[in-house]
Amino acid sequence: MSTPGIKSRPAATPIDILPTDAARLYTHIHPALVLSLYALRFNAIVADPVPALLQTLIPLSTLQTAYVTICLPPTAGSGSSTPAVVPKTAKKRAGGAAKATSDSNTAKIVPALLSLILSLLAITPLTGITLILFGAPITTHFAHTFLAAAHIAILAFLPLVYVLGVDGERWREVVGLLLPVDEVVGGMVGTLVGAWAGAVPIPLDWDREWQKWPVTIVTGAYAGYALGKLAGGLVFKGRKIMFD
Amino acid sequence: MGVRANSLFLTTANLILPASILIFAAAFFPYKPFLPGLAKYEDIGYGAPPSAPFDKVIFMVVDALRSDFVYSEKSGFKFTQSLISSGAAIPFTAHATSPTITMPRVKAITTGSIPSFLDVILNFAESDTTSTLAHQDTWLAQLKAKEGGKLVMYGDDTWLKLFPDTFSRADGTSSFFVSDFTEVDNNVTRHVPGELLNSDWNAMIMHYLGLDHIGHKAGPNSPNMIPKQIEMDGIVQQIYDAIEGETHLENALFVLAGDHGMNDGGNHGGSAPGETSPALVFISPKLKTITNGVECPITPRQEFDYYTKIEQSDIAPTLAGLLGFPVPLNNLGVFIPDFLQFWDQGTDRAQILLGNARQIKNIVQATFPNADFEYDQSDIPVTCAGLSTGDELACKWRKNLHIVATYDEEFVAEIGLNSLLEFCRKAQDVMSSTASNYDVSRLLVGCAIAFVSVVLTLLSMIKSLSKPTSTGVFFALALLLYGIMMFASSYVEEEQHFWYWTTSAWFFYLFIYGSRKKEQESFALHPALMLLICVRLMRRWNQTGQKYAGAPDIVHSDFLNNPLMLWSLIGATYLATTLRLSRQVARSVSESEDDSEDGISEAHKLIGALVMMPLGFTAFLFKLGFTAKDAPELVEGMTSALLDWVDSLSLVAISRAIFWGIGGSLLWLTINEWRKSRARKGARGSGTLAAALFDFLSLFLITQTRAQNIPLHLIFRGMLFFLAHLDLTTTQITLSSLLLSHASFFALGNSNAISSIDLSNAYNGVSGYNVIAVGVLLFASNWAGPIYWASYGTLLLSAHDSDIAEASQSSQKQNKNVKSWVAAERKQLHSLAVATSLPDLNEEGSGKGEGEERLFFNHLALLTLFTATGLLAVQVACTVLRTHLFIWTVFSPKYLYAMAWGLAFHLGINVGWGSLVWWVGRW
Repeated sequence: MSTPGIKSRPAATPIDILPTDAARLYTHIHPALVLSLYALRFNAIVADPVPALLQTLIPLSTLQTAYVTICLPPTAGSGSSTPAVVPKTAKKRAGGAAKATSDSNTAKIVPALLSLILSLLAITPLTGITLILFGAPITTHFAHTFLAAAHIAILAFLPLVYVLGVDGERWREVVGLLLPVDEVVGGMVGTLVGAWAGAVPIPLDWDREWQKWPVTIVTGAYAGYALGKLAGGLVFKGRKIMFD
Repeated sequence: MGVRANSLFLTTANLILPASILIFAAAFFPYKPFLPGLAKYEDIGYGAPPSAPFDKVIFMVVDALRSDFVYSEKSGFKFTQSLISSGAAIPFTAHATSPTITMPRVKAITTGSIPSFLDVILNFAESDTTSTLAHQDTWLAQLKAKEGGKLVMYGDDTWLKLFPDTFSRADGTSSFFVSDFTEVDNNVTRHVPGELLNSDWNAMIMHYLGLDHIGHKAGPNSPNMIPKQIEMDGIVQQIYDAIEGETHLENALFVLAGDHGMNDGGNHGGSAPGETSPALVFISPKLKTITNGVECPITPRQEFDYYTKIEQSDIAPTLAGLLGFPVPLNNLGVFIPDFLQFWDQGTDRAQILLGNARQIKNIVQATFPNADFEYDQSDIPVTCAGLSTGDELACKWRKNLHIVATYDEEFVAEIGLNSLLEFCRKAQDVMSSTASNYDVSRLLVGCAIAFVSVVLTLLSMIKSLSKPTSTGVFFALALLLYGIMMFASSYVEEEQHFWYWTTSAWFFYLFIYGSRKKEQESFALHPALMLLICVRLMRRWNQTGQKYAGAPDIVHSDFLNNPLMLWSLIGATYLATTLRLSRQVARSVSESEDDSEDGISEAHKLIGALVMMPLGFTAFLFKLGFTAKDAPELVEGMTSALLDWVDSLSLVAISRAIFWGIGGSLLWLTINEWRKSRARKGARGSGTLAAALFDFLSLFLITQTRAQNIPLHLIFRGMLFFLAHLDLTTTQITLSSLLLSHASFFALGNSNAISSIDLSNAYNGVSGYNVIAVGVLLFASNWAGPIYWASYGTLLLSAHDSDIAEASQSSQKQNKNVKSWVAAERKQLHSLAVATSLPDLNEEGSGKGEGEERLFFNHLALLTLFTATGLLAVQVACTVLRTHLFIWTVFSPKYLYAMAWGLAFHLGINVGWGSLVWWVGRW
C-alpha cells in the first residue's frame, strides 16, 4: 500500500483544537447550536423546503465559520499549493494564537471565509452530483437537491477545507478515508453517513409531510454531523479508519 | 473444523431449504377443502320453494370494469345509466377480495366462496386440473342440472378451463397479446345476435377482455377507454332490446359485472380501492316492479364507492333466489335483500334467506365442529356477545332457530329476516377472514428448519467469521437490515429502494476502497463511480413498487418511446452480444492453445461471425415481430413492408429456432472444448467455455426480456466491464453479484406484488400448454437480471481463481497467460491485477487445490446465508403478522416471491447453474 508518491510526505496527524479556553468551550457548544438552529427551522423547511433551506444557509455558514475561527487551526498557505506540512504549521499557529490574538484574528477569518466560498462553489456541485448518483431526482426538485448539497457541504467540508486548504495530496487522503480520525473527519463521515441513512424513512407509507425530499436527508446530515463530530473528537480520536 | 465437515454443513443447509419452504407454504396457503356434489332444496317447513321471477340469465362480464366506468359522469355507459335512472336496472359496487385477478374472481362469482391464495399460483398454471370447478357446486352447474338446462359461453377462455364440458356452444378468446383491443371483443360480439334468437339455452355467459387490455396497456385514462365503454354500452342496449322484444327472453335476467377493477396504472392483483371495486348491474324490465330507479350518474361517497356495496360472492345466492335453484354448497355470499321485494309473501322471503343461512351454517359447522348448533328449547340464548367466534356464530344460529320455531309467519318475515341476514353477514365476515385457518405449529416447523439452515451455514463458514473484514461487516449489516425490513409492509412493497440504496453505498465504498489502494490517475473515471452512474440509470429505468407506481421513468419517457432510439439501442445490445458470441466461436475454432485476442486468426474470426450473425439477427427479428404484436406503438414509423414481412413469420417457429440455435452452438462448443481439455492432459485450460456459457445465456435472457428493457442489458454489459476493472477480492465479488442480482430484478420492473409478474415472454416457442417449459420461461423472463448477475459473479470468481492459479504456477508471465476474456477488457489496467491478487492466495487456504475450491465454497456459503436468513425473516414475519390487515396483499405475495428466490434462484441458479459454470471454468 506504500506507493512512492506518498513516501516523501509525512503522515497526517489528527487535528487538535486550539489550546484556548474559548476553543475548548465552544467546540462543545457548537454542535448544540447547529442542532438547535435546525430544530428551529425544521417546520419552515418541511413547509416549503427551497426558501427555508436557502435562508438557513446564512446562519449555518455563520455558525460554521465561527466554529472554525474559534476552535480550529487554519491551514498554512491558504490558496497556495505549496507542499506545506500541515500539522507542524498548525501546531505552531496554535501555540502562537494564545499570545498574539489580535494578529491571528484576521489571519483566521480570511481563511474561514475562503473555506466557506470554496465549500459553496466547488464542493456543493460535487456533493449534488453525488446525491444524484445516490438516487436524488434529476428532472425535478433541482433546487431542493442542490440546497441539500450546500448544507451537506458546509456541515461536512467547510471545516475540512479550513484545516487542509487545497492540498491535493491531503484531499486524496480524504477521499480514501486515510486521515486519522479527529472531530473534523468525524464530522464529515457523520454528515455523509447521516445523509445516506436519512433516505430510510422516505418509502414508508406514513404520508407525513416531512417525508418529502430532501427533508429527511438534511435532517440525517445534521444529526450525523453532531454525532460524528462528538465521536470523532472524543471517542475515536487519533485512530485510523481500517478497511481490512 | 475440517473442510469436509464444512462441506457437509453447507450441503445440509441447502438440502433442508426446500423442506422449510414447502412445509411453511403448505401451512400458510391452505388448500381449502370443498363440499362435493350439488345442493338440493331441503324441506324447511314452509312448503314448496318460492317461484322464481326469472328463468334465464345473460351474464356479461367486462374484464376490469371498475365501478366509476359505469356510474360516473365521465362514463361511456349512457344507456346503462338511463336504465338505472328508470328503474330497469339496479346498480351495486361488488367488493372483490384480493387477489384481484380473473380466475379467482370467476371462482368467487360462480361458487360464492372466497378463493384461497393458492388460486394465484393455479391462475398461472392454468391447465392444472385441481383448479377446475367441474366437480364443484356453482350456479352454472345448478342451471345445467335444471330441466332443459343448456349453457353457452363466449369470451375469455378462463371459463372454458374452469368449466370443461359444461357449455353446449362456446368460443373462447385468450388474452395473449394485450395490445389487441378490438379483435378479442369482436370475437364475442359476433355471436351475440344469433344467440339472442336461440331459445334453447338458459344461461349465456360473455366475457369481454378488451377493456382490461386497454387498462394494462395505457391505464384507465387512455383515450381508447371511453370508445370501448360506448361499445360495451351498445351491447348492453342490444341485449336489453332483445329482452324487451323477444318473447322467449321476457323472463331473462341480464347481469353486467366486472370481475375486478384496476388501479391508476391500469394494473390489478392487489387490494387498492380501484382494484377491488368492480361494477355490478342487474338489468331487466321486470325490475321496475320493485324499484323506481336511482339517480345516475352520481358522485361516489368515497372513491369508487357507488351505491350499495356488496360482496362479489353475494352474486351466487342472489342468482339462486332469482332463478330458482338451491344455493351452491360452498357459498359464503348473502342474498342481496333489495331483491326480496319480488316476493309478497313473508314466508317466501323467509324461505329464501333461510335456505341461504342453512347452507352457510353447514360450512360454519364444518369449520367449528365443537360449537353447538343444535336448537334446544330449554336453553334460549339472550345475548351472543363475549363468546369465541365459533360459539358466537352458533349462538346466533340457535337464536334464528328459536325465532323460526316459536313465532308466526308474519313475525318471521318482519324480525326474522334481519336476524337471518345478520347471521349470514357475520358468518361471511368470519369465514372470509383468514386468521382461523392457520396451522401455527406447521408454520413454526418451517421457520425452525430455516433457522437450522442459517445455523448450519454459519457453522460451515466459521473459519471466515473469526477474521471479519469490512466487506463482511457490510454484508452482515445489509442482511440484518433486510431481515428487519421484512416486518414492515411499506418496505416489502418498496423493496427496490433498499437494494438501490445499499448498492449505491456499496459502489461508493468500493470507490473509497479503491482510492486507498494506489495512486489514482483520475477520480472522475474511477470504475466504481462509473458503476454508480450505471446503477443510477438502472434504478430509473422502471418505476416499481406501490407508492410511486405511476411516477415518470425511462421506460415511459419520450426518449425511449421514440421507435428509432429504442430500436437503435436494442440493435446495439444484440450486436454487442452477437459479437461476443462470434468471438467465442472463433476462439473455439482456432486450434491454437494461445487463447488471447491476438492468437485468433482473421479467418477464424470470420467463421465465428458467419456462424453467429444469423442467430443474432434471428433473435433481433423475433423481438421485432413480437413487439409489433405486443406493443405496436413501439414499432410505429417503421416501413410497413418490413412490418408486413415480420408479421407473416411464425413467432413460435422463430423463437424455437433461437433456442435450438443457442442449444446447438453450446453443445458444439462444449464438445470442442472438452476435446481440447482432453488433449491438454490434465493441464489447466483457460476456461473459455464458462465465458461462452455466460454469453449464450445472455442472448437467451435478452430474448426473454421485454423490448423496452433490452437496453438495460447494454448497461449491464458496461457494468461487467467496470466490475472487471475493479480488482475485487472474492468476498467483494460475491457481494457485488448478490446486490446487483436483486437491484436488477427490480430495475427490470418487478416488485413484490403479483400484478408485476410479466407473462408476455413465458410462451416464447411454446404452442399449446407445457407447464415445465412455461414455468422455466416465466422464471427466466422475470428473473433475467438476477440470473445474469449471479452467473457473472461465478464467472468473475473463476477468472479470479485462474489468475491465482497461474500466478502461483509461473510467477509473473505476461498478460498472455491471464484469462483471455478478461484480458481483452483489462488491456490497460491489467498489469496490477495479478500482483494484487497474489496475497489472497496465501490467506485463503494452505494447499493450492484447497484454496481454489474454497473460493467457490465461500461464495456459495455467503449466498446460502443470505437466502436462508432472508427466508427465515419472511417466514417469521408472515407467522407473527398472520392477522395483519395486509397479510394477503403484501406478505403472502412476498412469500410467493421468497419461494421463487429460494427454490428457483438460489438452488437452481446460484447452486446448480453456478456449479456448472464453475466446473467448466476449470476445464
